[in-house]
Amino acid sequence: MCSIPGMENAGCVFLFGYNPSASHPIVARRIVRAKEKGAKIIVADPRHIETARIADLYLPIKNGCNIAFLNALANCIVNDGYADKDFIEAHTNGYEQWWETIKKYTPESVQDITGISPADMHRAAEMYATAEPSAIIGYGMGVCQQRQNLKTVHTLAAVACVAGQIGKPNSGLAPVRGQNNVQGSCDMGCLPNMFPGYQKVTDPAMREKFAKAWGVPVEKLSDHEGYKLTDMVHLANEGTLHCFYNYGEDPVQTEPDSQGTIEALKKLDLFICEDIFMTQTTMYADVILPGTSWGEHEGVFTASDRTFQHFNAAVPPKGECRHDWQIISDLSTRMGYPMHYDNTKQIWDEMRQLCPNFYGATYEKMEGTGHCEWPIPTLEHQGTADLFPGGHFNKPDGRAVLIAHDWEHPTEMPDEEYPLVLCTVREVGHYSCRSMTGNCKALSLLADEPGYVHMNPADARARGIRDGEIVRIWSRRGSVYSRADVSDRINKGAVYMTYQWWIGRCNSLTLHAVDDVSHTPEDKFSACQMERVADQQWAERHVAQEYADLKARLAKEASAQDVEPAVAFSASQEPDRILV
Amino acid sequence: MEKHDVVCPYCGAGCKFNLLVQDGRVVGTEPLKGVTNDGELCLKGMSGYDFINDTKILTPRLLHPMIRRHKGDPLERVSWDEALDFTAKRMQAIIDAYGPDAIMTTGSSRGGGNEVNYVMQKFTRACIGTNSVDNCART
Repeated sequence: MCSIPGMENAGCVFLFGYNPSASHPIVARRIVRAKEKGAKIIVADPRHIETARIADLYLPIKNGCNIAFLNALANCIVNDGYADKDFIEAHTNGYEQWWETIKKYTPESVQDITGISPADMHRAAEMYATAEPSAIIGYGMGVCQQRQNLKTVHTLAAVACVAGQIGKPNSGLAPVRGQNNVQGSCDMGCLPNMFPGYQKVTDPAMREKFAKAWGVPVEKLSDHEGYKLTDMVHLANEGTLHCFYNYGEDPVQTEPDSQGTIEALKKLDLFICEDIFMTQTTMYADVILPGTSWGEHEGVFTASDRTFQHFNAAVPPKGECRHDWQIISDLSTRMGYPMHYDNTKQIWDEMRQLCPNFYGATYEKMEGTGHCEWPIPTLEHQGTADLFPGGHFNKPDGRAVLIAHDWEHPTEMPDEEYPLVLCTVREVGHYSCRSMTGNCKALSLLADEPGYVHMNPADARARGIRDGEIVRIWSRRGSVYSRADVSDRINKGAVYMTYQWWIGRCNSLTLHAVDDVSHTPEDKFSACQMERVADQQWAERHVAQEYADLKARLAKEASAQDVEPAVAFSASQEPDRILV
Repeated sequence: MEKHDVVCPYCGAGCKFNLLVQDGRVVGTEPLKGVTNDGELCLKGMSGYDFINDTKILTPRLLHPMIRRHKGDPLERVSWDEALDFTAKRMQAIIDAYGPDAIMTTGSSRGGGNEVNYVMQKFTRACIGTNSVDNCART
């Protein structure tokens, strides 16, 4: 709940399921500066990630142990006398019940699950809880893309409260966002349960307010929550969903179980893609609407730490590309709900009026390197770096509720047939589905299909795999080829693959299991097996050919746009003319 | 050379820099003293800009609207009017037959920006009449 610049002023930075040097290099640099200023660094991660090299305490946790680990940490904080009793008393509810669960989790009792010795667990508790003036827990997808993701966030929040490391400057939790504007699309109400500004769609007063502002009868606004993106596949398969309007996403590459996603997209009556590139998703679309690219339009993004910043257009739109807000407004008008804006500022100002927490974030304040960190409720307000000041939380009585959960094992545990844990991760040079970075000259030099699967030397040796060789990896969902990257920084029994490879596509293997509440897929844990490909020369030729074929297929699909409508029309009329 | 200040379209750190433009093409970047990056950039921020120029290194930019008149037909380039009329008619038919919850839309957590996301959810709620609008925060 702290700002990115504030991280370097904490007394302790505890990274839990977060690898900033790969996913947010600029945040990683802040952590190096924190270390230089004297902060203690704790890293809990199954891999010996970059930040582990500068850590005061590195905890090589086992994959899938999160809640067991955090419960044991909380157990040590309390039993070793580091709990902040004043903070618990003044700012929280539910301590007694919370402790009923936590007291069972001694570090000894879960050592088999966590892989962490009791001595290290006690050291971590002391280092984190006693840090002055504050400690921050930075967490990423290592928390969110697990079976017990939301429960892990509850647990983390309780740890921070019990240790009194929240509700003061540069403290609390720092949940980092992966993509540049995940925070922003949530802020703007691209969520099935929230209007813009986190105002609930099921709240009658909010429905009333938005219906009035948007000029529609209140019955027009649905009174129930919508479906989540990760429900798309099963809804299409069961025939509930008939149309999917996909704006700027590549789910075939980035969602779990690629083949399952493709089959579902094919079942839709209407699949619309609004994008800037022909992707492995766009190629299945029934309608392709070309939007303008970043660099061709202006707008506002929200950074991970709730900071609004404005960005400009640098070059004019290519071809017939139109601004996305113009495309959507035009479509809406044609469907009987007229929408018209002259520019993005008009849209922004309409939004500000409806969202009390964003009202003070004007375009004027964001000029140049100006920025607005929400909540920023008035025009005079300077923005809010740290949430929950003075330990005042978003509850009617202002007190945080301590919630504890028991650890449950991940959905698909390794077995004899699939003995390895597959975990998907990030790397610095490429991004997500790679449609952007893969089209950049300098970055494309780092593209190297079929990509890499990172493994421990022991797991490689057991299969006769040498560093750099092509291997086949398979799971209950599919099978792909990738290149072995053997390193002792990787823990034994687990393999790691990044998202962006098209031939070595990790999501052909991942499991589409989601948790009950957030519906976030368990991308960090599924079971797989791998083997060395006996004929390496054949394997090299095969992956090169597959990659060339796939790129050619996308180029061919896109080439339809080179044929002007008039030409296409006369060509299609040709047989008739002959008949006449 | 022109300079236009932008926010990086990759990760959530929110780094500010200038795009350097020559003859209508983006040719480079220059870090700015933004609140989070303080004059620094990473590899992607520094070198991740020329996809805008439609380099076709990996896959081509989409430059014109296209439709498939029937499921399984080849893509066909059409005018904006035809593309949007086709889409509006087909979406309306689905609403009429199955109700608004038969449609799902997404915002984008990447290059579009907050204004587009606002417009997308407004379209989804006020025009289509469903709350099924989501983004990739879950993946």
